[in-house]
Amino acid sequence: MIKLLFKRLGQGVLVIFVLQTITFFLVRLLPGNPFLGERKLPEHVMAQLNALYGLDQSALVQYGNYWQGILCHGDFGPSLVREGVQVADIIAQAFPVSLWLGVLGMGIAILLGIPAGMMAAYWRNRWPDALFMLLAMAGICIPSFVIAPIFGLTLGLHVPGLSVAGWDDALCAVLPALTLGLINAAYIARLTRGGMVEVLSADFIRTARAKGVRAGRLLFVHALRSGLLPAVSYLGPAFAALITGSFVVETCFQVPGMGLHFVNATTDRDYFLIQGLVFCYGVLIVIANLVVDLVLVALNPRLRSQGAA
Amino acid sequence: MKTNYEQGNSLWKDARRRLMHNRASMASLIFLVLMVLACFVLPLFPCIANPNATNLSNIAADCSWAHPFGTDQLGRDLLARVLYGGRISLLVGVVATVVSFIIGLSYGLVSGYVGGRTDALMMRTVDVLFALPFIVLVIVFSLSIEEPSRELTSWVVENTGWSRESVAPILGLVPLFIAIGALGWLTLARIVRTQTLEIKSQEYVLAARSLGLGHLRILFCHIAPNLLGTVVVYTTLAVPGIMLTESTLSFIGLGVRAPNSSWGTLIKEGADRMEASPELLFFPALFFCLTLLALNFLGDGLRDALDPKSAKD
Repeated sequence: MIKLLFKRLGQGVLVIFVLQTITFFLVRLLPGNPFLGERKLPEHVMAQLNALYGLDQSALVQYGNYWQGILCHGDFGPSLVREGVQVADIIAQAFPVSLWLGVLGMGIAILLGIPAGMMAAYWRNRWPDALFMLLAMAGICIPSFVIAPIFGLTLGLHVPGLSVAGWDDALCAVLPALTLGLINAAYIARLTRGGMVEVLSADFIRTARAKGVRAGRLLFVHALRSGLLPAVSYLGPAFAALITGSFVVETCFQVPGMGLHFVNATTDRDYFLIQGLVFCYGVLIVIANLVVDLVLVALNPRLRSQGAA
Repeated sequence: MKTNYEQGNSLWKDARRRLMHNRASMASLIFLVLMVLACFVLPLFPCIANPNATNLSNIAADCSWAHPFGTDQLGRDLLARVLYGGRISLLVGVVATVVSFIIGLSYGLVSGYVGGRTDALMMRTVDVLFALPFIVLVIVFSLSIEEPSRELTSWVVENTGWSRESVAPILGLVPLFIAIGALGWLTLARIVRTQTLEIKSQEYVLAARSLGLGHLRILFCHIAPNLLGTVVVYTTLAVPGIMLTESTLSFIGLGVRAPNSSWGTLIKEGADRMEASPELLFFPALFFCLTLLALNFLGDGLRDALDPKSAKD
């Protein structure tokens, strides 16, 4: 268990390093540069700006400086487009927004997806199965960028209190969270159904049935634990993706989270902001994968001996 | 050699029979064929308007005989735009899938066949790449290879004599093909490797070895055909995912650009104006969702047909 933890941690550090390196060099290949605003700057001003932010040095020197900044001072550098704003400050503002949205969205997804998947598996090949799986298929095939505007137009404009854009009060989170929740619920429902169907045909479930275990106890106590495994392995990365901001949903509802900042930063070529956001993303995805591994081990005792070996 | 051929034939025959009995899959297949014909062949006939011809005296028109889906805010015929958009979406979906298919298949085959330390190294690399955020990298990667692809366009124009107007739309998609394809092969590589490990310990591979066949020949003539079923299933199921990635990028303005438009950009334009004219969102979204649905049903059907073991669930 401890060994597994350390192995995963080591791999996680490697992932973050590789991700950061790839991003660093790819970002510098982007056409254009951060100082191409609406006004065209004179050349000497451009040169001075480049020198100010160290962009005139060779890529390798910049790369070294960048890591030095992160490791020695925890400093992601300044935003190149928004003057006087630090990348760390932008992330500190945007992260709680995305986190809150992600938690709400994931909560909705789990509350809808897991019961739907369980019911579909329990009544396999009967009408609840067909109904839920049809809904799940629709959820997979109707992308969030279709659902989001439709929600905005139907619910957002007609239900009092809900708003279609911005992030001023608590109710602003309703529509984006609902969109995120429905999309992910579809995947979770399919995975839960798959896992439960497999478990329900296992020998120990037949034995439990033969013993006369009630349906509720059979489902929740005997089957659920291993039936959830596929859904749990999906949840980790999906959750990391949600809390680091969903590009589409945040763009649609103009939620000032990390996803919206990332999209804007790539169009503005704000090198340091892109790098900082990707760094955050890497850290969160590593943590999420780690948590998933630990939860999987807790749910599935067979993995425990493998991890120790 | 002959028996081998007959065996293979009967496996595919079985699969075809099972697929033909699956109504949802067959309906999806017919739908997809019609969709491909509509997007690639129908616009060749003059009954479909030019998707880029603006007509400012007829903006945001309702559905009519002249414009079955109405027109957009610049008076362009929506039906034509949806069909041309489908061309781009389907093209990106298929080409990017083929790119990832080639990379994933060869990577998995080599990793599984060579085994040992090479295999361990190759699979650890896949593990690391797997943990990277896919869409973030696709965005950054596709933008960063735009410049080289523009140079490629100029090079092609200079060296082939084709007009810029005819090649630019297709070559403008190259960054997307490469970015999505180059980052989407990981799952396939894993699947192929597992299968290769299983197949390479079978007797017929040993027989081929003892007949003195080379490694490459064994890999591509004896092992690859036998994992084709799995690969076909996975590849079909990968197309909708890749189309979704493309349209997501296009929707947030980082994918397909003007003069091209895909279903993703059309949905974006429609979403911006859905209050005034909802059909601008409705038709592209309908075409897109139905295509994804058909691809998913077809993939599920193929899985049931080619891999009856997993189909029991």
